[in-house]
Amino acid sequence: MKKFHLTTRAAALAMVILLSTAYLHAQHQVSGTITDLADGSPLIGANVLEKGTSLGTITDYDGNYSLEVSSPDAVLVFSYVGYTTEEVAIGGRSQLDVSLRLESTLLDQIVVVGYGTQKKSDLTGAVGTVKTKDIERIPTANIEQALQGKVAGVYVTPNSGVPGAGAVIRIRGTGTLNNANPLYVIDGMITYDASLVNPQDVESIEVLKDASAAAIYGSRGANGVIIITTKSGKVRDNAVISLSTYYGSQEITKKIDMANAAEFAQLYNDLRGQQFYPDPQALGEGTNWQDEIFRTAPIANVQVSANGGSDKFTYNISGNWFNQDGILKNSSYERATLRFNSEVQLNPWLSLNTNLAYATTKSQNGPDVVVSAYHMPPVYAPRDSTGDFSDPTFFGLAIGNPAADQFYKSNNHSKGSRLFGNIAANVKFLRNFTFRSNLGFDRGDGQSQYFEPAFEVSASQRNLNDRLSVGYNQNRDWIWEQTLTYNKEWTNHRVTVLGGYTAEERYRESFGGSRENFPGTADELLYLSAGNDTTQMNYGGAVDEALVSYLFRVNYTFLNRYLFTFSWRADQSSRFLKENRQGSFPSFSVGWNAGEEAFVRDLDIFDRLKLRFSYGLLGNQASSRPYPSTGSVTSGLYAVFGPGEDLNQGATLISLANPNLKWETSSQADFGVELGFFNNRLEIEADWYNRRTYDIIAAVPIPDYAGSQDDPVVNTAEVRNRGWDFTVNWRQGGAFAYNLGATISPVENEVLKLAEGKSEIFAAFLQGEPATHTVVGLPIGAFYGYQVAGVFQNEDELANLPKLGGEQVGDLRYADLNDDGMVDDKDRTYLGSPIPDLTYSFTGGVEWKGIDFAIDFLGASGNKVFNAKKTFRFGVYNWEASFVDHWTPENPSQTEPRITNGGHNYRVSDRFIEDGSFFRLRSIALGYSLPANLLSKAYISRLRIFVLGNNIWTSQQYSGYSPEFANGANPFEVGLDFGAYPVAKSWQFGLDVTF
Amino acid sequence: MKKRFSTYIKWAVLSAALFLASACEKDFLERAPKGQLTFDTYFETPDHAIWATNAVYQKFRAWEMCAFPWIGITDIISDDADKGSTENDGLYILEIDNFTFDATNQAFQQAWAGHYQTIFRANLAIENIPNIDMDVDLRNRLVGECRFLRAYTYLRLVQWFGELPVITRPLNEDEYFTQERRPVSEAYDLIEQDLLAAIEVLPEKSQYPSGDLGRATKGAARGMLAKLYMVKKDFVNAEKYCREVINSNEYSLLPKYADNFMPVGENGAESIFEIGAVAIQAAVAGPGATPYNMIQGVRGIPNLGWGFNRPSDDLVAAYEPGDPRRQATIIYVGEVLPDGLTIVQDNPEILNERYNQKAWVGAHPGLQDNGPGNIRILRYADILLLAAEAMNENGKSADALEYLNQVRRRARGSNNFILPDITVTDQSQLREIIYHERRVELAMEQHRWFDLLRWGRAESVMTAVGKNFVANKHELLPIPQSEIDLSGGLLKQNQGY
Repeated sequence: MKKFHLTTRAAALAMVILLSTAYLHAQHQVSGTITDLADGSPLIGANVLEKGTSLGTITDYDGNYSLEVSSPDAVLVFSYVGYTTEEVAIGGRSQLDVSLRLESTLLDQIVVVGYGTQKKSDLTGAVGTVKTKDIERIPTANIEQALQGKVAGVYVTPNSGVPGAGAVIRIRGTGTLNNANPLYVIDGMITYDASLVNPQDVESIEVLKDASAAAIYGSRGANGVIIITTKSGKVRDNAVISLSTYYGSQEITKKIDMANAAEFAQLYNDLRGQQFYPDPQALGEGTNWQDEIFRTAPIANVQVSANGGSDKFTYNISGNWFNQDGILKNSSYERATLRFNSEVQLNPWLSLNTNLAYATTKSQNGPDVVVSAYHMPPVYAPRDSTGDFSDPTFFGLAIGNPAADQFYKSNNHSKGSRLFGNIAANVKFLRNFTFRSNLGFDRGDGQSQYFEPAFEVSASQRNLNDRLSVGYNQNRDWIWEQTLTYNKEWTNHRVTVLGGYTAEERYRESFGGSRENFPGTADELLYLSAGNDTTQMNYGGAVDEALVSYLFRVNYTFLNRYLFTFSWRADQSSRFLKENRQGSFPSFSVGWNAGEEAFVRDLDIFDRLKLRFSYGLLGNQASSRPYPSTGSVTSGLYAVFGPGEDLNQGATLISLANPNLKWETSSQADFGVELGFFNNRLEIEADWYNRRTYDIIAAVPIPDYAGSQDDPVVNTAEVRNRGWDFTVNWRQGGAFAYNLGATISPVENEVLKLAEGKSEIFAAFLQGEPATHTVVGLPIGAFYGYQVAGVFQNEDELANLPKLGGEQVGDLRYADLNDDGMVDDKDRTYLGSPIPDLTYSFTGGVEWKGIDFAIDFLGASGNKVFNAKKTFRFGVYNWEASFVDHWTPENPSQTEPRITNGGHNYRVSDRFIEDGSFFRLRSIALGYSLPANLLSKAYISRLRIFVLGNNIWTSQQYSGYSPEFANGANPFEVGLDFGAYPVAKSWQFGLDVTF
Repeated sequence: MKKRFSTYIKWAVLSAALFLASACEKDFLERAPKGQLTFDTYFETPDHAIWATNAVYQKFRAWEMCAFPWIGITDIISDDADKGSTENDGLYILEIDNFTFDATNQAFQQAWAGHYQTIFRANLAIENIPNIDMDVDLRNRLVGECRFLRAYTYLRLVQWFGELPVITRPLNEDEYFTQERRPVSEAYDLIEQDLLAAIEVLPEKSQYPSGDLGRATKGAARGMLAKLYMVKKDFVNAEKYCREVINSNEYSLLPKYADNFMPVGENGAESIFEIGAVAIQAAVAGPGATPYNMIQGVRGIPNLGWGFNRPSDDLVAAYEPGDPRRQATIIYVGEVLPDGLTIVQDNPEILNERYNQKAWVGAHPGLQDNGPGNIRILRYADILLLAAEAMNENGKSADALEYLNQVRRRARGSNNFILPDITVTDQSQLREIIYHERRVELAMEQHRWFDLLRWGRAESVMTAVGKNFVANKHELLPIPQSEIDLSGGLLKQNQGY
């Protein structure tokens, strides 16, 4: 510390000497005000520099500056982030006021597209861009959350409260639906898992939404493509060193309203028709099992980075540590990431890009007891009077004590490491050609260790022998791309031609084993060799796939106004048999920068006016299984024969395979308008799109008589997603800078056709009845069942009103929709769609005197949720509080039937369908940056402290934790809540320092 | 000059890179599942034939074939047993016990799916094994085993559900949704042909090497065919095939009735067909295990099972005074279990505790779901009683008595004060006596419901014990609603549902 002061003093002394020397020679002072050209507001902290020297200053809060310059003839350079830089010769003046013009940022912005970059003004496809600036103020744990609410048409569903878990992204509706995850391209490496990218390392994220933009990714572009570019080094004298950190705490956003002990006891008495509990009220509240399993959990993040370089070598190095404890007890996730990005100019024609990331993760995976806490009757305490865990199996063997599971099943840990990145050589030759060879790789190793001690809570919740299970897995993925780009500009023409060839392979292998009867439970003993070798079990297996592709693209711009793009990709995938292997994905698009036409410019209304149209084909190979076309023979189906009771190997095909599977493709048309007004402070972008997905690949239930254990994967249906993406932004710079924005995305999903010979697809079977029914003209996977018309109030109604048969007074009365005097399966009907027809977000931000404030809202509406967890009653599970007000002769409810457990009242009906609309305050952040003059002595150029709230407030109708939950991949079975993990809310405090 | 040279180098590098990249393409895209056989190269060796056949046997140990669905719609649905367990557990089985079920009850869907999955495995083997180049006798035998298993599976289905889609080979993609229910005679014909073919090619029990004991035999096929004829009321043929089993001298009654259900009785002299199971050391259900024992095991202390399938009061009352078969069939609280060690403790959560002793197994590796008990399908006593029943129907009462009394004599053992020989020769009186004897001899072995159905007595018996049995409805189970929905209505529901 002392040393630092000495150095500081020496430097200060040297500076004084230097400055006094300058003063002796120059003795010219200039001062003035820097303002925004558009509205005259002062620009705070703008840079003023004498050209060719290191003399400079920044403006104060009123936009004023004052500077000693070396000569009255000096030239001053005025610059400010987001504004055009101006150079002005002093010409002897002592007062020099300057107005800076807001950069028409979007017009000149460089946008990353697949296998290249383009000027934003030349773009003909629908591409949403998020820049560092947009995400750094609100730090997020992962890339997906960083995108939430930022780009129209991009809908982010938090995956779960599982620590370290990502989120599910849907671009332009849950369109292709089946494995609708977009493709991630991280610095050129293709992956479906962006979990290792730390948002603070990101330079930009581009979302390729339409066919024109995404078609260059061919068979994997159908769900949109998210291109992530991590920060690269900038040429500068001294590295910029940044430190940013936050710490916060998370908890569940809401609890499900369950019956308490008194209510449960009363309901149980009502169910049994006897006073099993003589005095229910005496039981009081009992245990709220949600309080037992959830907790308030910390989250923390530290990021350090250095960025700099010379004209031959630039770099960005960062280190990150992220730690998140789960809101469910005994779950945590810790990640450390190192990233090294560099570019080396080896000689005038050859440069090397390297982007390397290495991450290690460590997690504790406590048991998922969300569903068992939901089932567990509140009349039990976690432990009974003798101190043992309570045994709830009187109410059914399917019920386990969640507290016991958390106690006994939490010694479950996993570790992983992943090396991810790419090395690319760029060769420039013959002036206009660039050849690029890019080798991307993704190598991951994971290991898991789970020790379960011997314990006994009940006949169904126990473990006879302690057991250690370990597993190892590895993935080795690589991609090698060769692309050749030709780029030529003439006065009125600009052409870029791209051709390429790529090959890639993915390989995953795992093995593991287990033993029982360990001599102790100390960590040092928990290795397989310590267990009893006669109890050992092991497994091993692998999955691989390969893809070979050719790609081609032409961009042509005429007079900066007329834009044309054609692209084409051919993919061959190992996931299909030879006959169906080749997929070809062309697209074209046109654009017109009408704003550049004289007659539009003369109107003096638009700063920007662009129209564009695109059409193309995209594929979705990810929806198929790795080897869908070959039937796998299952072995280990042992028969037991002989007095020795020997295991005799058995093996056969247990499920039907489909050798005729073909590519799922989609066609997409997009018509877009981009508008800029008021010096581009108001920007509006609107896109209309129509996406048809053909031959959707999915496992569709077939009748059980076919004898297939798993449903075969088939090409099922044609679905249309049609909608709008609107983005409106208002940005005001200056001393009081603010911005307001909104994205609005209405989408309409409709099934256009089902596979040959099929008029309907039933799926999502609950208690033997389908909960979804897919037919032409309705959304895919629409809910289906009976409509509740009321409750049978008396014997008279029971005798005279239509019924299914077998009902009693107090049971639900389902509507006889076809008026045939009885209720049967023909009276089931459409009960709503799980797909929101509108998603939207609002953002706002203010910056004033070092204070920054940002707020994000997002919402969805029009979707329904099937509260499936309510329908499962294998034993007597706890009831939701809504059951308390059930029908009795004295309480003639028309909505809540008499209390029963399974059977008639639990058939698939709109009783369990709830509104899934919601509106959420996703984030609110308040920050303060200390004035630069206070910091300069410590060589700090910026210091910001902030507080951030996530998911602080939500308005929802849905009774479960959240209407936003991730479902499995099957498009016919979405929107059913079987007990999804709750969403967490959090408050965080943080500090950003830049040196 | 220098510039031109560097240009050449760059082009050369570029071309080489592209060439290398495309050179390895040919096999690069051919990928096959790892660590797994694939169907395109299966059914090529004798091992494949054996394995594919073994896989059919294995399916009979699956949950759908031997646990809740099986016990639920054989014993629990009948007058022999109640649901059991605590009053809150396994509620869809309670609906079956009480006849309050509808077509959405999971037990029907599970049973239906499980049986057709078994048929799928058998169909694959029957279709593909004949094309394998291998020892002809072995090949014929394996196909015969699969045809026996397919016939037995269809026999269960047709008795429960009536008219069925009769599937005899794996379906093609365009056939998934087009199958219709066929008249029961089609299922009967298939069963008959399968069993006749199996009788032709299967060896007798004694002809198998000991390591293959438990595979389908000529005797098993004859016995199963006799059952089919009983269902069809073709008593002449039923008698014929029963007598072929009896006259083969392959089988005899075990001296001790209770031994049939002990490990000592597994594949014993009385066993005509059973599904082998074994508990090898395993964390959970091991590769030879069955859930059959677990779901019926004693609940509480000793903590072996779930306690479903409680022998009913009506069954308890059905035994003649002193019949030792009652003790061998039912476990009571306080009873010393057959291992001679454990005493059944009272479980306060279960009213009138009782368990199926025939599903009881002693201590074994693993937890209760690692059940080691062979599932007995067909016993010699069953055939003797079928023979007696058929002969009585064929007007040979006197001969019938011989077989009936063999069964009673064995049950009686050395105690001459109980279970006297039957001497009644009046056809209708004897019929009642044989019906009663079947009930107590075979109680809790999942035969009762099928017997009631073929006797046409389901309604009278079930009504007598106070069940909500509806005549002309409950004789057949409902086709699972899911199956009707998936068929787009092509499958029609049974009457009354």
